[in-house]
Amino acid sequence: MKCESCNKKHATVHLTEIVGTAKKERHLCEECAQTVNTQLAKIPTPTEILTSLINQVAPEINEMSKISCPVCGLSYLDFRSHGRLGCPMDYTIFRKGLIPLLEKMHGSTQHVGKVPSRAGKELIKKNELMQLRSELNKAVEKEDYEKAADLRDKIYELSGDNNNED
Amino acid sequence: MKISDLTDNTGEWLRGTGPDSDIVISSRIRLARNVARFPFLSRANVKQKTELEEIIRDKIKESEITQDLFYVNLADVSPVDRLFLVERHLISREHAGGEGVRGVAFGKSETISLMVNEEDHLRIQVIRSGFELKETWKTIDDIDNKLEKKINYAYSSRFGYLTSCPTNVGTGMRASVMLHLPALGMTHHIEKVFNAVVKLGLVVRGMYGEGTQVSGDLYQISNQFTLGKSELEIIEIIESVIPRITSYERMARKALVSESREQLEDRVWRSYGMLKVARTISSDEILHLLSQVRMGVNLGIINDIQMKTLNELFILTLPGHLQKLEGRELTSAQRNIIRASYVRKRLEKIES
Ligand SMILES: [Zn+2]
Ligand SMILES: [Zn+2]
Repeated sequence: MKCESCNKKHATVHLTEIVGTAKKERHLCEECAQTVNTQLAKIPTPTEILTSLINQVAPEINEMSKISCPVCGLSYLDFRSHGRLGCPMDYTIFRKGLIPLLEKMHGSTQHVGKVPSRAGKELIKKNELMQLRSELNKAVEKEDYEKAADLRDKIYELSGDNNNED
Repeated sequence: MKISDLTDNTGEWLRGTGPDSDIVISSRIRLARNVARFPFLSRANVKQKTELEEIIRDKIKESEITQDLFYVNLADVSPVDRLFLVERHLISREHAGGEGVRGVAFGKSETISLMVNEEDHLRIQVIRSGFELKETWKTIDDIDNKLEKKINYAYSSRFGYLTSCPTNVGTGMRASVMLHLPALGMTHHIEKVFNAVVKLGLVVRGMYGEGTQVSGDLYQISNQFTLGKSELEIIEIIESVIPRITSYERMARKALVSESREQLEDRVWRSYGMLKVARTISSDEILHLLSQVRMGVNLGIINDIQMKTLNELFILTLPGHLQKLEGRELTSAQRNIIRASYVRKRLEKIES
């Protein structure tokens, strides 16, 4: 088989690209393959797909744009552009923006899988924590960072009790 | 144990045994976990990263996951060694190319690996030969339970295991099956497989995961979603599609045999001949040749070479492995020569 790019050398490189559900085959000589490889790298990475998804489903941009996490300092805008969260608390702080995104990505927003055994003992505290977290959300939305920091400490204190190993 | 000790053999998952191992090379599951009350790695400072690595490394040791667990500090090893570990599927490309304090623990059989400070604080992986997702799940679930007794994971009842990237949240699980589908490729039916797979919310990738090319007719099928379904439900969705693909591939092979036996045998024997005589072989070409020969062995066209040997050659002829074998860095042209001579030697042994 001849190289489909230069049509001179023997094709020794057989590439298969998957774009969506279509498969494309390319038969190239080694030299041509080296130059093509750089073009092939343009297939969107998972991070690029993710950030474009985020941009599609985040209409609350105005509402969310001022919000930053009081724990790790990540802003919602940072998350939008990089697609990575900064700390576990971000799932609470950016909840409003995350829910439509998770719905689109996973078709669901409720975990139904494995539960760590220690989570069972925490059930009683959980309700209290949930209450505190919703207060924290409100405080962050109102940009009342003093109150937010206060609530954050309370949340830490409460979840800190669970760290007993038995 | 040293990394060099690994070069003499390969992981158990390349044995070429287990259910449907003519088509299913391996079954793999990984779990993403983070430690509560620490930022994710993208926002962690050096001190926090160091602390995390210490905690997790200690807890892995204390958990007695397997007897012969070996820990490699990745910041201390050479780029060739890191590439070598990627090629053996013990670490991800991202982990190899990452920065800062990070490591990997793995067992001697290379079935289990635990990456510390990858994209998430901890990524547990179990890989087995053949189509064995349920067994793989049992092993990894058990490891996760042991670790969970020592490590307080970041978890919420709403969103499950909290991960740095929201594409992994919930179960934090990615289950995948690596398939060898040469006949579907040759008969241009592979698109139909992709369509069926994508409809189920699964994705198709190349041999080394995200963003990699498909080569050697090796495909990985894995779940995209991680939230809203339990681990076993996700595994069952993948399990439901694999028998359809394997029987489809077998049908395509049968059709090739009955409709164009001579051409097929010619392709297989030419590929085998090339492996035995060539003086320089590129990494892409060898995958293509090995793929043809592997199918030839499965169809009984070639009888004097073991599946294990072929599966191993897919890995042993990769750039990192050849450089490890030679004990020095090599240019692409040098690798092609050494690759050809290495394969010739392996195949000569069989003949004698
Ligand atoms: Zn060319
Ligand atoms: Zn945060």
